[in-house]
Amino acid sequence: MTGKERGSLYLLTGLVVGLALGLLYAWVIQPVRTAQSTPATLKSADKDRYRALIAAAYAANGDLLRAKARLELLKDADPYNALAEQAQRALEEDQDSKQARALGLLVVAIGQENGSTPILPLISSPQIGINETSTTGSPEAVQPTRARSKPALILTASPASTMTRAASTSSESTTTAVETPAPTSGSTATQPPPASETPQFTPALTQTFTPTSSPTAVILSTRTNTPTPGAQFVLENQERVCDQVLSDPLLQVQVTGTQGQPVPGVEIVVSWPGGEEHFYTGLKPELGLGYADYTISSDETYSLRLAEGGQTVNGLSAVDCEGSNGERYWGAWLLTFVEP
Amino acid sequence: MSSRWLRFILVILIGVAAGLYYGWVVDPVQYLDTDLSDLSPDYKTDYVLMTAEAYSAERDFDLAAQRLAALNGASPQAIIQEAILFAENPGYTDTDRALLRDLNRAFQNGEVGENRPGS
Repeated sequence: MTGKERGSLYLLTGLVVGLALGLLYAWVIQPVRTAQSTPATLKSADKDRYRALIAAAYAANGDLLRAKARLELLKDADPYNALAEQAQRALEEDQDSKQARALGLLVVAIGQENGSTPILPLISSPQIGINETSTTGSPEAVQPTRARSKPALILTASPASTMTRAASTSSESTTTAVETPAPTSGSTATQPPPASETPQFTPALTQTFTPTSSPTAVILSTRTNTPTPGAQFVLENQERVCDQVLSDPLLQVQVTGTQGQPVPGVEIVVSWPGGEEHFYTGLKPELGLGYADYTISSDETYSLRLAEGGQTVNGLSAVDCEGSNGERYWGAWLLTFVEP
Repeated sequence: MSSRWLRFILVILIGVAAGLYYGWVVDPVQYLDTDLSDLSPDYKTDYVLMTAEAYSAERDFDLAAQRLAALNGASPQAIIQEAILFAENPGYTDTDRALLRDLNRAFQNGEVGENRPGS
């Protein structure tokens, strides 16, 4: 090696040492910390807060498009399931809380919008039980029997009752608005939340901002706040379900449409001497958008009907099952409603 | 000191500068599990806007204050006023701005009495 080559190597070594020191300082010793994070990087508890606030805002303004755009910012693997799971947790903590109700309303609204295309598997849980009787419904009528220790969402008012400000921002019917997410764009009724991943303003719908272009997107407002009327459905099947996974006696309801697709957002009324409660399909999407269940007491006899009329199913009491070793456990009634 | 040493120190400094630029600007550390207070101004503004939207229907001053407190700002009013300023950017609707102003008024007035739930 000549003296000149040694000299070059010497400088290169110095450069590498300097780079290493610089990176060590920038990444380990003093990493840059700016208030530039996005909802996607929030810790779990703060994501829950953010999601709950999205639901509260939706309950106030009924703007489903905006709510969905906001949920996208959290970059959950499955925003709908994440929302539904949080709604479940909120219910288990406090069924009557505003938060639980708002989360439930948003789950129902998104589920209704997705209801036309069954985007979620009817059953995705490994805890699938066996039925005491054979299924008589359509091939889609897989029997969800996962254990639930708590009742499904209890909502005492329809989503429309909370839309006190809806008229000021959008109409009840489907409307068309043109959004131009450029700096010169005007205000539109269905504009998504104005947040971005950069400090500059960026419409959240695309999460990218190109000041030099002015793409035009036609956005359809798809407010679907009213649960599907129950009168459209008839009882197709009623059967006892025995599954040792079930910890409590349940009433399970499955509602499907004309094409056999699950129908979320259907209000169900369960009543017993001295009481009545309401719950909705679609709040346990992991069990199907048309599925709902309700934990009953082993001491009562219940009646169940869809909220806006239709056939009432009477005499529903806790199903007593017997295992292969003679042990006793609680089962469920599975009621399948279909749209003729 | 020989020129050889000077060159060596110089390239080390150049390397340090390049490393700092890369580590702070080009590829900074990506934080996970951040707090709401770390949100960038536009997301914070949207958070405040959501609070205002919810407040417009709920009229629950305490709940709104609780939501804003999660941002760990100086005061709810300061947070709202920052959001109002940011909402002057294009893309926010007049309705959005009106909601933020409404929330701001609520905090300016303290919302004592009629708007508190249960009062």
